[in-house]
Amino acid sequence: MTNDVLDAIRKRRVVREMTDEPVAQEQLEQILDAGRWAPTGGNLRQNRFVVVQDEKIKRLIYQVSPGMFQRPPVIILICTDLGVAREHQVSDESLTFPMDVGKAAQNMALAAHSLGLATGPVTSFSQTAVSRILNLPDAYVPHMFLCLGHAAPVPQFNVRAWQRITWRDLTFYDRFPSDSGGG
Amino acid sequence: MAKKKKGKRVISEDQAVELLALFVSSAQLLMSEPAHYGPLRLLTATERLSAMMLERASPETRPFLELAIERIPQMHMQMSDVEAYSAGLEELNAAIGECLVRRAGLEEGASQ
Repeated sequence: MTNDVLDAIRKRRVVREMTDEPVAQEQLEQILDAGRWAPTGGNLRQNRFVVVQDEKIKRLIYQVSPGMFQRPPVIILICTDLGVAREHQVSDESLTFPMDVGKAAQNMALAAHSLGLATGPVTSFSQTAVSRILNLPDAYVPHMFLCLGHAAPVPQFNVRAWQRITWRDLTFYDRFPSDSGGG
Repeated sequence: MAKKKKGKRVISEDQAVELLALFVSSAQLLMSEPAHYGPLRLLTATERLSAMMLERASPETRPFLELAIERIPQMHMQMSDVEAYSAGLEELNAAIGECLVRRAGLEEGASQ
């Protein structure tokens, strides 16, 4: 069985080489809206998106991002606004924040894919340097860049080649057997 | 002949600062990244420096730079294939050895 959503989930790939072709503003806004609709823990809505299109700023970000192989037309930085969390007495260290960033990123990646665009997440960057470059408010924690653009017509590389797996390889039902080493 | 080239500037201050940024950001990230990311970051720096140098580099150096620019992105794909990754490192190290010999004028007819 399949439908458009399942099809997008199965066909989306991380893209690490993009063309210079710009992203239409309407498409960019649709993608940001998809990020906005991602669920957040406690419905805090503490995710913040910083869209970077200025060439000079993108170049500076690239320089402090060893994990960024793309030179995309658009970089979306996903941050956590700890100010919101603190208002609700949620710890700065709450694990829900990086999870919420991941959910927003996946929503945006799927939205981009459905619009014929490509994305690539980057987490290997200096948070300290990026905060300074973008002049982020003190309460903003930068978690992930989502590079957005059009896939270059070249083979896209995977950092690590895995054997093909199915959901069955990842899934367990109910309780593990007593000899599983758990407990 | 090699002595004349020693003072030749092949990258700009902007490019040098770009590399410094890559080095210090990599150093910070590597505190929490897997050990094998160390070589990866060094290769990324090698590729970026090679691209910066290519335009103004001497004929003796260019073959290594061209190889690094072509080969290192392929090696990023081969990280889980130890044999292929090692072969890439072997190729790059053979090329840098050749480059060093040529630049030092040790063998005028060293092959490329």
